[in-house]
Amino acid sequence: MWGIFLESVVIFKNYVGFHQYKFLFVIYLFFLFYLLLAEKNRRIRAILVYAPLLLLVCFFVPLFRKVFVRLLNDAETYYRLLWLLQMSLVSAYGAVKLSGRYRKTGLVVMCAAIVLCGSFVYRSEYITKAQNWYHLPEEAVEVAKLLEPEEGRVMALVPADLIYYIRQYSTNINMPYGREMLIARWDYYNDMYEAMEEAEIIQTASFVELTREYGCHYVVLKKERELQEPITEHGFELYAQTDTYLIYRDTQLGTE
Amino acid sequence: MMQIINFIFWLVAVPFCIGQIPAYFLPEERNGDDTKRNPGVIFLAGYLLMWSVFEIIAVPAVILIQYDNFLFVLRWFMAAAILLSAAGILLWYVREKRRREEVRPVLLSDLVRHKVRPEVKVEWLIFLALVGFQLYMSVTRASFDGDDAYYVVQSLMAQQNGGMYKNLPYTGRSSPLDVRHALAVFPMWLAFVAVKADVHATIVAHVVMPLVLIPLSYLVYYEIAKVLFASRRENVPVFMIIMGMFQMFGNVSIYTNETFFLTRTWQGKAVAGSFVIPMLFLLLLWLYAGEKKREKQNAGIWFMLVCLNMTAGVCSSIAVFLLAILLAAAAFCLMFVERDVRIPVKLGLTCIPNVVYVLVYLMLK
Repeated sequence: MWGIFLESVVIFKNYVGFHQYKFLFVIYLFFLFYLLLAEKNRRIRAILVYAPLLLLVCFFVPLFRKVFVRLLNDAETYYRLLWLLQMSLVSAYGAVKLSGRYRKTGLVVMCAAIVLCGSFVYRSEYITKAQNWYHLPEEAVEVAKLLEPEEGRVMALVPADLIYYIRQYSTNINMPYGREMLIARWDYYNDMYEAMEEAEIIQTASFVELTREYGCHYVVLKKERELQEPITEHGFELYAQTDTYLIYRDTQLGTE
Repeated sequence: MMQIINFIFWLVAVPFCIGQIPAYFLPEERNGDDTKRNPGVIFLAGYLLMWSVFEIIAVPAVILIQYDNFLFVLRWFMAAAILLSAAGILLWYVREKRRREEVRPVLLSDLVRHKVRPEVKVEWLIFLALVGFQLYMSVTRASFDGDDAYYVVQSLMAQQNGGMYKNLPYTGRSSPLDVRHALAVFPMWLAFVAVKADVHATIVAHVVMPLVLIPLSYLVYYEIAKVLFASRRENVPVFMIIMGMFQMFGNVSIYTNETFFLTRTWQGKAVAGSFVIPMLFLLLLWLYAGEKKREKQNAGIWFMLVCLNMTAGVCSSIAVFLLAILLAAAAFCLMFVERDVRIPVKLGLTCIPNVVYVLVYLMLK
């Protein structure tokens, strides 16, 4: 039980960002306790203070976590229980209530506190300038356009950095493996992935044998990817290229 | 141009017309100040009912129809949405004939009806600028999220191949039904909009959905603020500015609902965190924090609560549990505060859709 409790503490710390010196949750806690004392409407207190407080306590109760995980068969999403606290809603209400007649000052102080204790979402490493309406990397779209069949489907083997995007452009391009291979903790195994990504130098003969086993019409390789022998010596032809990638087509396989 | 008209039709006009149905049963407000039955609430109610109906049509289709199940959903949901819209317009006509009052836009009506001080107007402008900035960023900035390889591709598969949850989105191989995800049909609703507007589902997800879902969430917060600051309306814009700031600076980790709200807006779980959960707070505040009303007057709110529980199932299977947990916690606290044991019973009854959802989930698992 102690172990489960400690796991919950870790999940909580990761959620609120204490390890990155982000303290929005402290603001939330401050206003939660402020409302506990200052909110006169007992029904509002029950909905906005007691219920979140009860859930916050439950979050750390090992038995609660055990039941939650057992019911959902998923331990990874336990953090979403913290969504029920609605930090922003409670904090904003508490801040406006505390400001009272000094609304403008309260607003300025609260905004400053949020900026200091929070993290600007648009500075996230995951957010970049959109290169097209799909919001996919332009080169991924370029590759997908080259691979997309006029009719039917094709199987294409692509490098890891394209895996997320190709099928967001066209679902007529199948792949021998997908995103599941890129999440280490999911612990999947795929021999094609091993041959494509894990080998320091691609062993062309066995690699080609596998691409045919998986029915890959196309193989996309980064230009700098090292191969034991040129793939063109094994029945592939250079079909197209982009700035970063070479696209080979297997001349011995037809499309579906 | 036709695409924009189709988006407006399916994302604005249809939900608004459908929303007239629950709105018909919402309480009339005191002093003629119609705060609940206003265009904003009608719009919210419309989305809840529309998504609930979508769930009723799509989930059986996912489970029972082997081939081209999305085409079935396209046909039947379109028919249902048009019928409900027509019914909504009819109810609106009946009600308005009775009331002989015109509906005015909510934000404007507030500014027109109450004399608003210039500083409050400035605060509203600051809030609108914040939302405008968020919408601008949602269109011009791409947000990488690995889950898109699942959810967005599910929508795209439905649009391009006419099937729902028949293939593994990562590879395209056929796969057994992934029950946990298949019951949460939000990506299929997204695909429906994409087909109707004839726009690639990935563009609809990444560009169009934030333009609808971000304002929708702020509409919920606005209605919550109206309850919390019923006697001091001038506090509402300040509350909204703080909410807007919190959303933008809430990225303290990749897990917060604020992060999901602005970086994964189009995914069902983000809708659960930033629309469904706050909506439950709103409905609870309407039911219990305001003046006590006769049960009959609250029929529309109870109806919306049932629809909300169904909407949770549309968004994600975990949202069904989360909403039930929040509802249970709130019911428990309200029961003690009000010394009324009927509260958990009544709120519990609105969870019947969640129970059905879980039973279906367990049966298929």
